[in-house]
Amino acid sequence: MHNSEEFRIPIGPQHPALKEPEGFSVALKGEKILGVDIRLGYNHRGIEKAAEERSYIQDIYLIERVCGICSHSHSTCFVQTVEEIAGLTVPARALYIRTIIAELERVHSHLLWLGVAGHEIGFDTLLMYSWRDREVVMDILALVTGNRVNYGMNTIGGVRRDISLQQAQEILKAMDILEERTKYYIEVATNETTIIKRLSGVGVLSREDVLLLDAVGPTARASGVKRDVRVDDPYAAYGELTFNVITDDHCDVYGRTVVRVKELLESYKIIRQALKNLPAGPIAIRAPRKIPAGEALGRYEAPRGEDVHYVKSNGTEKPERVKIRAPTLANVQAVKHMLRDRFLADMPIVVAAIDPCFSCTDRMVRLAEQGSDKSKIISWPSLHAYSIEWHKKQGIDFSELNKKLAARLAR
Amino acid sequence: MLGELFYIFIFPGFIFLIIFSLTAEFIDRKIYARLQNRVGPPWFQPWADFIKLLAKEDIVPAESNPKMFKVAPIFALAAAISAFLYIPLWKTDALFSFNGDLIVVLYLLTLPTLAFFIGGWYSTSLYSRIGSVRCMTQLFAYEVPLFMGILSSALLADSWSLKGIAVFYMAHPWFWLFNLAGFSVSLISLLGKLEKVPFDIPEAETEVVAGAFTEYSGRMLAFLRMTLDIELVTGSALLALVFFPFALNVHPALGFVIFMIKILFIVSLIALLRTVVARLRIDQMIDFCWKFLVPLAATQLLLNLMLKGMFLR
Amino acid sequence: MSQEEKIKENLISKFSYLDNSINLVRPRRISIEVGLDNFLAVFAYLAKDMQFSHLCTITGLDEQERLGFIYHLAGAGGVMINLKTSVPKAKPLIKSVTAYFPGAEIYERELVDLFGAKVEGLPPGHRYPLTDDWPAGQHPLRKDWRPNPDIGKEAGKDA
Repeated sequence: MHNSEEFRIPIGPQHPALKEPEGFSVALKGEKILGVDIRLGYNHRGIEKAAEERSYIQDIYLIERVCGICSHSHSTCFVQTVEEIAGLTVPARALYIRTIIAELERVHSHLLWLGVAGHEIGFDTLLMYSWRDREVVMDILALVTGNRVNYGMNTIGGVRRDISLQQAQEILKAMDILEERTKYYIEVATNETTIIKRLSGVGVLSREDVLLLDAVGPTARASGVKRDVRVDDPYAAYGELTFNVITDDHCDVYGRTVVRVKELLESYKIIRQALKNLPAGPIAIRAPRKIPAGEALGRYEAPRGEDVHYVKSNGTEKPERVKIRAPTLANVQAVKHMLRDRFLADMPIVVAAIDPCFSCTDRMVRLAEQGSDKSKIISWPSLHAYSIEWHKKQGIDFSELNKKLAARLAR
Repeated sequence: MLGELFYIFIFPGFIFLIIFSLTAEFIDRKIYARLQNRVGPPWFQPWADFIKLLAKEDIVPAESNPKMFKVAPIFALAAAISAFLYIPLWKTDALFSFNGDLIVVLYLLTLPTLAFFIGGWYSTSLYSRIGSVRCMTQLFAYEVPLFMGILSSALLADSWSLKGIAVFYMAHPWFWLFNLAGFSVSLISLLGKLEKVPFDIPEAETEVVAGAFTEYSGRMLAFLRMTLDIELVTGSALLALVFFPFALNVHPALGFVIFMIKILFIVSLIALLRTVVARLRIDQMIDFCWKFLVPLAATQLLLNLMLKGMFLR
Repeated sequence: MSQEEKIKENLISKFSYLDNSINLVRPRRISIEVGLDNFLAVFAYLAKDMQFSHLCTITGLDEQERLGFIYHLAGAGGVMINLKTSVPKAKPLIKSVTAYFPGAEIYERELVDLFGAKVEGLPPGHRYPLTDDWPAGQHPLRKDWRPNPDIGKEAGKDA
C-alpha cells in the first residue's frame, strides 16, 4: 500500500454506481485493477431468523420482501417447498398463473437490467428507453396482481387471484408491444459499435470458471453453461411448456446482455403459451395450518439465476428452519474473478452484469409489529384518486401541468 | 475605451456570454431529453441550478491545498471567457485581433482542462485524483486532432489569425466545403474537451463519482459548471467561425443572428452525438483519437495543401 | 432403473457404509447422511467423479446437541443430492470444501457467523454477513439465541 504507484479506492458502501450498500475496495495501479476486496452484509436483516418465529402464512409475505424485484421468485420458491413437505397437489390453473407472473417478473427485471447496464456504460438513452418500455409490463403486473412489486399472489396450495379473460387479452396486447421493442433492442445491441466496444471482452468468465465458482442464471448461460432450473428441474407449469434455453459463447458482459435480451423473447413466448393453455378449475386448495414434520429443498429460476430455498418443518405451524440462497450470492464470487487485471472503467458494468441484488443476498431487518389493523379495502383507482386529492389539499396539483404536457405532446 | 469595456463586460462579453451559455446548456439538455423520450427541463433550469449553487456553502476539504483548490475554478472561468473575446461574431473582426490569435484561443481553451486537473489533484480525494489524471490523459489524446483539424482550415486560408481566416473565406466562398472532414474531427475532439459522452471519462459518475469535481461545492462548483458551459459556446463558436465562415459581411445584426444560429447548430450536433453513443474507456478513447481521428485530420491537411497548390498559387 | 437408483447403487458400491443412509425422497431428490469422518471422501467422490458440479448452497441446522450441515449438490438431469453431516455443538469443527468449489467460501462464512461453526481450511477474508463489531460468541441462527437490544449499543461503545 506504500507503493506510490498502487493505491486503493473505496467503491461503496455508498457510491453512485451502486444502488444498494455493499463495499468494494479496489486496489489500482493507474487505471488497472490489481485486486478487489468485497464486503457484503450491509443489508443483513435477519429474515431467516424471523421466519422461524412466524407462521407459514406470515412467512410467505415476509419472504416476498426478501427482494423487491424478484419478490414473486422468492415467495414461489418458498410455497413450492412447503407444498412439497405437506404433500399438497396444487391445481393446474394455479401453477399456470404462477408461471405467467414469474415470466412477467422476468421481463420487468431484464428490462430494468438493460437500463441499468446502459447507465453504467454512460449510455443514458438506453436507460430512458428501456425503462419507458418497462412501464408496459409494470402496468400489466399492477392490473393482474394489484401491485407493481410484491405481488402477494402466492399462498400455500395455490394462488390468491385469478386471471380473467379480459386481463389475459391485456397481457397479450402488452406482449406484442414489448416484442416489437425488444427486437429493436436486439438490433441496437448488435449494431451499435460503442456498446459492443464497451461490453465485449469485459468481465470474462470462462466455462470452467462458471463450474468452479458456481455462477448461476444468465451469468452462467452467457458462458455456454446450459444451467436453467426451468428445464433441469421443472416446477410450476414449465414442464408442459416449450421454450429454448438461451446460451451464448461470448463469456463476457456482451454475452450476458445478449442472453438477457433474447430471454425476453422466450418469456413472451412462454406467457403466450401459458395463457393459451390456461386450464380451467380452482386456483387454490385448502392447506393445513400445521405442516407435518419433514424437509424439502426448492429450486426456482429467478431472473438473476437459481434461487434455492430449504425448509425444515417440525409439525407445528411455524417452520423449524428456512434457508434462502439468493442468486446474487452465488454470482458475487465470480465478480472478483472477472475484475482481476481489468480497468477501473469496467468495474461498474462488470458488477452490474451479474444483475446484483444485495438486498436478496443479505436478507434480513427485524420487522416492527404493526399495531393497527384497518380492515377497510381500498381499490387501486380510488387509492390513486385519494392520493391525488390529498396532495391537492397540500397544494400540489399536477392537473394544469398534465394538460399542458398533453397539449404539447399532441402538437 | 468605453466601447471596449462595454464589449468586454456587457455585450458580447461577460454578461451576454453568461446568458447565452446558459441558454446553450438549456438547448443541449432539452434536445438530449427529448431524444430520450423525456420531457426535459424548463428554460430557466440552468439559471436555477446556477443561482442555487451560488447560494450554497463552499466546502473546502481539510486535506486539500486551499489556495490551489479555490483558485482553479476562477482561473478556468477567466480563461474560457477571455477566449470568447477573440472570436469575430458579426463581422470579420473581433475586439482583439493579431496574427496568431487562433493559437491563443486554442491555448486559452486548454487552460480550463489544466485548471480542472490542478483543482482535482489538490483536493486530494481519490476520486478527484483519478478524474484529474484522466483529464490530462484525455487532453493528450484529443488536443492533437483538434489542433490539426482547425489548423487545416487555417492552412488553406494561409493565416494564423481568425480575422485572416474570415477574410479569406469571404473572398473565396464555398472553399469551406472542403473542410468538412476537418470539421468532423474537430467536433468529436471538442466532445473530449467538453467532457461529454462518449468522452466523459474524467467524470464518469459510475466509476469516479464526479471526477475532478467530486470535492467541489457551492460557488466554486457553479464556476466550474459555468466554465464548461462557456467552453461549449466558445468551442462551438470557434468551430463555427473556422468551418462555416459565410455570411460574415452582411448587416451586423443579421450576421450576428446567423452566427448565433451556427453556434446553436453545433451545440445541437453535440447533444445528438451524446444521445446515440455510450461512454468509451480511456484506453479505447486514446486508441480512437490516435488511430482514427489523427489520420483523418492528416488527410485533411494533405488535401488542403494540394488545394492550395492547385487553386491559390 | 431410474437415474436416482443408479446413483444410489454407484455410491453404495464405492462406500459400503452408506447402505442405509441413502434416501430417494422423490424424483430428482436424494438425501444422504454421512458421519464427519467419511464426509470429505463422499463429497469429493460426488463432486469429482460423479459430476455433481454445482454446489447450490450449504444449510446450517441447529439440532439441540449437534449442529447439522447440509451440502446441496446439483448434478446432471436436475438431480439434487442433499449431503448431510453433523458435529457436536461442543466441538463444531468441519472441513472446508473450498478446494473443490472456491465459490463455497461465502457459504462457509455464513456458517461461521450465524451458527458458530469452525471451518478448517477457510481462506482468510472478511466476515459475512454480520458487522465487523459484532460481539464474539453470538450466533443468531442458533435456537437458544434471542435478539438482544444491547448488542448494538455495546458494539457502538467499543468503536
